[in-house]
Amino acid sequence: MNFSRREFLQRCVNSMAYFTVSSAFPRVFARPIKAASRVVEVRDDKLKRVGDDVNPEAAGRMLNRALQKLMQANSDLSAWKSLFNPRERVGIKVSCLPGRKLSSSVGLVHAIVEGLGLAGIPAKNIIVWERTARELKEAGFSLSRRGVRVAGTDEYPNGGYDNRITFAGSVGTCFSVLMEKVDAVISVPVLKDHDIAGISAGMKNFYGAIFNPNKYHGNGCNPFVADLCTHPLIRDKLRLVVLDASRLQLQNGPAFFHRYAMEYGGLVLGTDPVAVDTVGWHIVDRERVKKGLKTLKQVNRLPGYIATAEKRGLGHMQGAYIDRIIL
Amino acid sequence: MTESSFDRLNRREFLKLGATGLGCAAFAIPGFAGETKGHEAEYYEKLKDGKIKCHICPQECEVTNRERGTCGTRENRDGKYYTLVYGQVAAANIDPIEKKPLFHYHPTKKAFSIATPGCNFICKFCQNWEISQKRPEQVKTVEFSAKNVIFNARNRHCPIVAHTYTEPVIFFEFMRDCAMIGKEAGIPNVMVSNGFIQEKPMRELCRHLGAVKIDLKAFTDDFYQKICGGKLKPVLDTIRVVKEEGIWLELVVLIIPTLNDSPREIDQMTKWIYRELGPDVPLHFSRYYPTFMLQNIPPTPPETLYRCRKIALNNGLNFVYIGNILTEAANTYCPHCGSLLIERAGFAAEIVGMKKNRCAKCGQLIPGVFD
Repeated sequence: MNFSRREFLQRCVNSMAYFTVSSAFPRVFARPIKAASRVVEVRDDKLKRVGDDVNPEAAGRMLNRALQKLMQANSDLSAWKSLFNPRERVGIKVSCLPGRKLSSSVGLVHAIVEGLGLAGIPAKNIIVWERTARELKEAGFSLSRRGVRVAGTDEYPNGGYDNRITFAGSVGTCFSVLMEKVDAVISVPVLKDHDIAGISAGMKNFYGAIFNPNKYHGNGCNPFVADLCTHPLIRDKLRLVVLDASRLQLQNGPAFFHRYAMEYGGLVLGTDPVAVDTVGWHIVDRERVKKGLKTLKQVNRLPGYIATAEKRGLGHMQGAYIDRIIL
Repeated sequence: MTESSFDRLNRREFLKLGATGLGCAAFAIPGFAGETKGHEAEYYEKLKDGKIKCHICPQECEVTNRERGTCGTRENRDGKYYTLVYGQVAAANIDPIEKKPLFHYHPTKKAFSIATPGCNFICKFCQNWEISQKRPEQVKTVEFSAKNVIFNARNRHCPIVAHTYTEPVIFFEFMRDCAMIGKEAGIPNVMVSNGFIQEKPMRELCRHLGAVKIDLKAFTDDFYQKICGGKLKPVLDTIRVVKEEGIWLELVVLIIPTLNDSPREIDQMTKWIYRELGPDVPLHFSRYYPTFMLQNIPPTPPETLYRCRKIALNNGLNFVYIGNILTEAANTYCPHCGSLLIERAGFAAEIVGMKKNRCAKCGQLIPGVFD
């Protein structure tokens, strides 16, 4: 490993400071400080899908309200600005595998783009993306090369994946080139039951960012989802998770099944992907029970990758460390 | 509206794209397929709620609507199962049959060698991962019909078609159709496989194939699970089935230092081969080179390969070869008188001591399929 002179000196100073302070205050530094992760859940009838989409204006109002609470800001502007820098290029990773009825809603994504605009990010520096252009089109997105880019990874050269193998724990893969092109990522999946993983939410959405997700569905996707999210491209760039819970799928996901779908009219926001997925899981379980279905634990489909993600230091799963705010 | 900043190319990307474009223009073939087409798959079961259980390989994937199995090439579309790689050829080359390697099957002949994207394993040492580990839509393919494959083989003076490079099990339907047409046309098809296939489809294939080469990755289930994402037993079962069906069979073991090269494991493996298949199944020990996800282990030392060969010979196997290095251990010798029968250097081969399928010196019958 090579350091520049500046980096070397900086590391020496940091190390000295750490040892000096930690020896003086052993109790404080004996274990990592666990700050609670805030997760905001907002629910409103206006967020329910009409046809297969949500009303963008209603989505925008709910989103901004939730984001203000999440960032403890006093305006939409300051909430968005506290998360994004105007010079950044931002990717919105949507989830479109199940088709229009259960993909990230276009109206919600529109509201997120407006919010990024508030933060001063020019349209040309925003990209809404998924694995393939076909999936985006089927979900109701219009592909665009001007202004806000809406694109499938497959529109880029060589299939759109980096040709270098990169590792994250048990996962060896090539990432979508779009993960490298952006400075920050917003994960916008639909909250749904997943027949193998238990639930599919903010972390599993990144299976759509790698070239070989089919190789990592064994053992309920555990530890693979968690390991994947430890990769610096995700860990360092994931800035916000917005679970689209306007329509939930409670059983037989990730495909859309009318019988098991429900209009929930909700959004779940957070910056800690583990905490957000935990809340998402609890919502799915609670609604399953209300519909007379067994919990995911009872059907032996606990989303074990969430606990693994907590062990990997990606965030909090324990209730005591999740500051859950319901609006 | 301004142009999105995500489409800007740096100089290197621009040059690469330009070169690729020129390459495509130079070698364009009608029927270039950019999207995944569907052809109904075989060997699957419809479960309740639109789910599907795949019975082509022992992974036995249960696939919900719009999802795919481990191979990434078979997709559930509203309760019907489709193979997305039927006729979608990602690689087509003319190779010596020795490259497969098949040493006792029409030696010195050329094989029209094809592959579609995808594999049911995730071998960390895969040499062809850029087509085997990708999903069909991530790989450029050319559309071939089964007839077209046989036509191309004949036109290019190849008496054999080889299904190779990736895992032919995942393009079972296409391989089977090629093999059926090829058999009628006098162009036998061979399968170069990991052997991870269920019994029924394998027996069906055996009715049409000329030969099978199976990669026996190791002799421990642990290796299969951790390094390949598979299991050992189904592979051993397939090897037995191929032998039982009377199809010409050769085995290859890629020896990877510290992972599958212990004398004990090689001893157990070769004893099993002798016991279950007899002494005349050719066994190839190949040298590994770092690639794909296994970059931290150096190439196999030649001494290790010689040691493995010695163990196999001591256990009674008659035809034990060493591959991926230049060595006399790639030659075929008569197990009775020791005469040199076929001399090989790299993929070049010359029959020097055989008359038809016998040793020219002592008349010993040499197992295999010779012209």
